[in-house]
Amino acid sequence: MKTKNSRRLENLFALRSKVSASIVGKLYHSIPISGQIISLGIVALIFSVGTNGQFLHISNIMTVLGLSAIPMILCLAVHQVIILGAMDLSLEGIVAITAVSAGLLLKNSVTANDVGLWIIPIVMLIGGLAGLVNGLLNTKLRMPSFISTLGMSWTLFGVAIMISKGSSIPLRDLRFQKVIISEFLGIPTVFILAILLGLVLYIMQNKTKLGKHMYAIGGNEILAKQAGVKVDRIKISIFGLTGMIYGLAGLLLVARLNSSAARYGNNLLFPAMTAVAVGGVSLSGGVGGALNAVIGTIIVVALNNGLVLMQINPYMQSAVNGIVLISAVALTIDRNKIGIIK
Amino acid sequence: MQKDGIGKQPAIRRIKGKLAGLPAISYALGMLVLFIAIFAVGSATFLTRYNMLTIGNSAAILLAVAMGQVFAILTGGIDLSVGGIMSLVSVVLMKTLEPLGFWAYPLSLAVGIAAGFLNGLVNSRLRIPSFITTLGSNGIFMSIAYMISIKPLSAPSSSFGVLDIVNGTTLGIRNIMLLGVLVFVLFFVIQRYTITGRNIMLLGSNEKMSWLSGVDIFKVRTIAFTLSGLGAALAGVMLASNLYSGYPTLGTVYILNSIASVVIGGTAMTGGAGGVLNTLVGVMVMSVINNGMNIIGIDVYAQQSFLGVLVIIAVAISFDRSKLSVIK
Amino acid sequence: MEKKKIIEFKGIRKVFPGVVALKGFDLAIYEKEILGLVGENGAGKSTLMKIMTGNYQPDGGQFLLRGKPIVLGGSMEAIEHGIGMVFQEGSILPNLTVTENLFLCHEKEFSKGWFISESAMVAEARRALEENGLDINPTTLCGNLSPAQRQMVEITRLLWLSRLYRHENPVLILDEPTTVLLEKEIKTLFEILNRIKEYATVVLISHRLEEIIENSDRIVVLKDGDYVTEMLREKADIFKIEQLMVGRDMVEGYYRRNEQIDPTDSVVLEVKDLAIESILEPISFTLHKGEILALVGLIGSGKEELVKCLGGSMQATHGSIYRNGKKISIKQPKHAIAHAIGYIPIDRRVEGLATDLDIADNINMLVYKNLKVRGFIDKKKERDNATHWMGVVKVKATSHRMKCGNLSGGNQQKVVLGKWLSADAEILIVDHPTRGIDVGAKDEIYHHIRQLAKQGKSMIIMCDTLEEDIGLCNRMLILKDGKKVNEVSCPPDAKPAPTDIIESIV
Repeated sequence: MKTKNSRRLENLFALRSKVSASIVGKLYHSIPISGQIISLGIVALIFSVGTNGQFLHISNIMTVLGLSAIPMILCLAVHQVIILGAMDLSLEGIVAITAVSAGLLLKNSVTANDVGLWIIPIVMLIGGLAGLVNGLLNTKLRMPSFISTLGMSWTLFGVAIMISKGSSIPLRDLRFQKVIISEFLGIPTVFILAILLGLVLYIMQNKTKLGKHMYAIGGNEILAKQAGVKVDRIKISIFGLTGMIYGLAGLLLVARLNSSAARYGNNLLFPAMTAVAVGGVSLSGGVGGALNAVIGTIIVVALNNGLVLMQINPYMQSAVNGIVLISAVALTIDRNKIGIIK
Repeated sequence: MQKDGIGKQPAIRRIKGKLAGLPAISYALGMLVLFIAIFAVGSATFLTRYNMLTIGNSAAILLAVAMGQVFAILTGGIDLSVGGIMSLVSVVLMKTLEPLGFWAYPLSLAVGIAAGFLNGLVNSRLRIPSFITTLGSNGIFMSIAYMISIKPLSAPSSSFGVLDIVNGTTLGIRNIMLLGVLVFVLFFVIQRYTITGRNIMLLGSNEKMSWLSGVDIFKVRTIAFTLSGLGAALAGVMLASNLYSGYPTLGTVYILNSIASVVIGGTAMTGGAGGVLNTLVGVMVMSVINNGMNIIGIDVYAQQSFLGVLVIIAVAISFDRSKLSVIK
Repeated sequence: MEKKKIIEFKGIRKVFPGVVALKGFDLAIYEKEILGLVGENGAGKSTLMKIMTGNYQPDGGQFLLRGKPIVLGGSMEAIEHGIGMVFQEGSILPNLTVTENLFLCHEKEFSKGWFISESAMVAEARRALEENGLDINPTTLCGNLSPAQRQMVEITRLLWLSRLYRHENPVLILDEPTTVLLEKEIKTLFEILNRIKEYATVVLISHRLEEIIENSDRIVVLKDGDYVTEMLREKADIFKIEQLMVGRDMVEGYYRRNEQIDPTDSVVLEVKDLAIESILEPISFTLHKGEILALVGLIGSGKEELVKCLGGSMQATHGSIYRNGKKISIKQPKHAIAHAIGYIPIDRRVEGLATDLDIADNINMLVYKNLKVRGFIDKKKERDNATHWMGVVKVKATSHRMKCGNLSGGNQQKVVLGKWLSADAEILIVDHPTRGIDVGAKDEIYHHIRQLAKQGKSMIIMCDTLEEDIGLCNRMLILKDGKKVNEVSCPPDAKPAPTDIIESIV
C-alpha cells in the first residue's frame, strides 16, 4: 500500500545509510563541508575540461580567490542572520550607504574631508547602527525580518544616493587601493582579509557563548528562550554585527575601485544569498557556519568565472545563479521545520 | 428563527460594523486624503486636470503589477520577480511587434503568465519559500531578457498603430486609464466572485484548515503566482507601449513599488486579510506621493527612502503578530 | 512518615475564565520519593505542574518550597530553585550536540576569558551522563538521538543544573515520559529514576496507571481540580484508583439522553482491517445511519490516527474502507469530503476556522459551486446560505459578516458544524466536540448532535471525558495500545457505568 514516493525515499535512505557506514562515508561525515568540497570539485572538473585546463591555471585560481573576497565578506555577514533563522535583505542598502560615506569622508575630489584610517571604525559604526535598527525592528516591533530589512534597504539606498547626489566620487587617497590590490606570498591580500574574517567568525560561532546561543535560537527560538537564552539581545547583536561587516565590505568596494557611488551596492544580495545556500547554510536556521559561507562563495565565484572563461554570454550569469540558488535551497531546506512554506 | 433577523439591523450599527471591519483600508484612505491635502497646499499645479491625468497614467501601470502582487501576498508569500517578468515581457513585445503586429500582445502576456506559473510550481511543488523562488527566478527572467536583447529595443515606427491599443484615446479618455480600470475590474471579480479567489483568501488565512477542508492548496498557490505573473505581464506591455521601448531593467523599480502599494493598502503580509480593493487605495497613495513629490521638487531617491520608511511603518501597523508564535 | 516536605501546597487555587482549574486543596511532596500524579484530562494535573515550574501563578493559597513561601517567575527561575520539568514534547534542540544542549546558557562555567573550553565541556558532559548510567556520546547531534536518549539528556541537564545551584534535593517533574518510549526503554527509565531517587524527588504524570503504581512510592489522585485521595504503593489498588478518577455517578437526563434514538440498520461506513504500521493494528467496525459511535482510549491508543485516516489527513498502510457498501480510497481530505465525510477538529482556531474571515466565508467555503449565478459567486445566495445555516445551528452573531475570530468558543464550534451541514456531510467525525466550551453552550452542542442523528447523520465522536462519551453514544469502541479491545453498546436506558469501561481502557 506504500506509495511510490515513500518507497523511493526509503531506498534513498537505505543507500544513504550504506554509504555512511563505509570508510569513505565516515570521512565524508567527519568533514562538515564535504558535500560542498565535492561540488567545487565537480565545478572545477567541468570547467577545466571546458577551458582546456585554463580554469585550473594558478593565475586563474588567484583571480578567482581575489574576486571571491568581497562576496565572501558579504556572505559571511548575511549567513550569521540566516543561522538565526531570520533573513536580511538590507545588504545592498547598507553597503551603498557605507560606500558613499567612505567616499565622502576619505580624501576625495568633492569634499574637503580626510579622515584617513579612522574610516574603518566609521564605516563599521554606520553599518552597525543600520544593522541594529534591523534587529530592533525584528525583536522590539516584532516585524518579520525579511520585510523590515527590505524596507531598510530601500530607505538606505535612497539616502546613499541623496548624499552622493547620484554621482560617483573619485578618491584621492591611494593607500587603500594599494593594500587591496597587493599580494602576499602570491595570494591577493583582500582574500587573506576575507579568510581572516571567516576565522574570527568561526571562533565566535564555536568558542563563545554568543555563538552557541545563536545556534540555539536558529534551532528553536521558543525552546532557546525557555532554556534562558536572551533571544532579543542576541538577535540584535547579530544583526548589528552583520551590519558592521557590510560596512567593511562597502569600504573594500570603494578601495578597490578607488571611487565611490551608491550603485556599488547594486546586485550584491543575489550572489551572497546564492553563496549562503550553496555553502549549505540552511535557510530554516541553526545549521551551517563560517566555513560553509567561505566555500559557498568560492563555488559561486568559480562557477561565474568558469562561464566567463568559456565565453558564455555574461548575462547568462544571473540565470545560472538563479537556478543554482533555487536548487541549493531545494536540497538544503528543512521543510518539517518551516512547516508551511510561504 | 434567525434566518431573516440578521440582515435587518439599524443602519447606524451596520455602518459602524463595516467601519470596524475595514480598519486597514481606512488608514490607507486617510493617508490618501492627507497626502492630497499636503500637495494641494504645497503646489498650485497638483490639483489641475492635466496633473490628475498624469497621475492616472502612472497609476494604471502600477495598478496592474500591484493587482498581481496582492494575490501572491494574500497567500502569505511574496513575488520578487514581478520586475523581471515586466522587463522580459517588454523585450518580448518590442521584439515581436514587427512580425506579429497585434498578436505580439497575447504572446507577451502568455510569456508573463508562463513565468508566474513557473514560480507557483517551484514554490508549491518543490516547497521552496516564495521569496527565494522569486529572488532566483527574477534573475533568470532578467537573463532571458538580456539574451533577447542587451540594448534597449525601440518600437518600429510601422507598429505605432498597434501601440495605440495602449496609447490611443477612446471617447476622450486615454486607453491606458481604461485598461487600468479593466485590469482592476478583472482582478476584483477574480478575488470576490470566483471560487479560486475565495480559496486564495482561505489559504492565506489558514492553510491547514483549507487543506483539511479539501482545498487543493498546491493548485491554489500556483494560480496565485500565475495571477501575479499576469499582473506583471499586463504592466509590462502597458509600460513598454507607453514608452515605445523595452529593456531588461525596465521593471526593476516596480518590485519595490508593487510591494509598497500592497502593504500601504493594508493587506497583511501574513496573508488572508486585505485584497484588491485595499491595493487600489495603496496604488493611489503611491501615485499621489510620487507625483506630488516630483512637483514639489523632491528628488526621486529621497522618494525611495520615504517609501521604504512608509512600508516599514505600514507593516508595523498591519502585521498580525498573533498569527505567528515566532517572528523571524 | 519521617521524610521532610520539599514542596507544600496549602489551599492552592487557580481560576481561568469560566473554569476553576484548582479548587483550593492541600498537597505535600516529600524529599527522596517518587510521586505519581493521576487524574483524567482536566483534573488539574498540568495546571499544578505549571504552578510548580513558575509558568502560572496561583490565584489563592500558598506554595511553599523547602518550608518557605515562594513566587516563581518562569521555568528558568524554577530551575534555579531546584525544580525542573521534562516536557512531553521535549525541549532539546536538535541542531546542537548533547554537550551544547546540556550546558546551554551555562557556558560561562567552562569559559576562559572570552572563550569556551570545548574539551572541558565535553569532559563534564561525559561525567554527568555516566553518573546517571547513560551511554551517550556527548558530541553527537541531538537530532540523531532516539526519543529515549533525548529524554535522558534532558533529565541529566536538569540534575546537573540543580547541582550547579547547590540544591540538596532537586525536584524533577516528568509529564507522560513513557509515551514515546519502547518497552525496554521504559524499564531503563525507571531504573534510572529509582537511582535518582537517592538524592532527588521525582513527580510522575502518566495515563498508564499500572506503570505509575508499579514505580511510585505514593500516588495522588486528582479529580475536577480537586484532591481526592492518596495512597502508598503497597496499598494501591488499580481498580480503586480508576473509580476515584472517574468519580461521580451519571446524572440522569444529562447529555440529552432522552433524545437518543436507535440507529437504522443500513451501514453507511465499514472499516475492514484498517491498520497503520507501528501505530494501529488491524481494526474493523461498522457505522450505521443515524448512529453515534464513540472512540475511547488513552493517548497512544491509536484512536486519533484512526480518525485521521478516515478524514484523509493521514494514510492507513493496510486495509480498506467501504462507504454504502462500495470500496473507497481516501488519500487526502478532499477525497473524504467527496464521500460526504466531514471532520470537526479538536483545535478549531488552528484546524477548523479561518479566523481572519467572516462567518459567511467559513460556512460557505465548501459549497461555493452551488452559490454561483452565471459563473460567478452571487452575494445574495451567499448571504442566504450563510444566514440559513447560522439559523439552523443557532449561531449568535450580529451579522453573517462578523469575523469568526471575535466569536465565543461555542459559536465558533457551531460555525464549523454549520459549514459541514451546509456541505451535506453524512458522516461527521467530531473530535472533542465540547473542548473549551462553557456549560450552557455544551448542552446546545449535545442537542445539535442528537438532532443530527435524528436526521440520519452518522457520527464518530471522541470526547473530553468518558462520561461524555458514554452519555452521547449509541455504541463505543474501546482501543488500547493500537488494538480494539472491546465494543460496548450504550442504549439510553442501560448506559454502562464509567468504572466498568475504564478497566478495559487502562
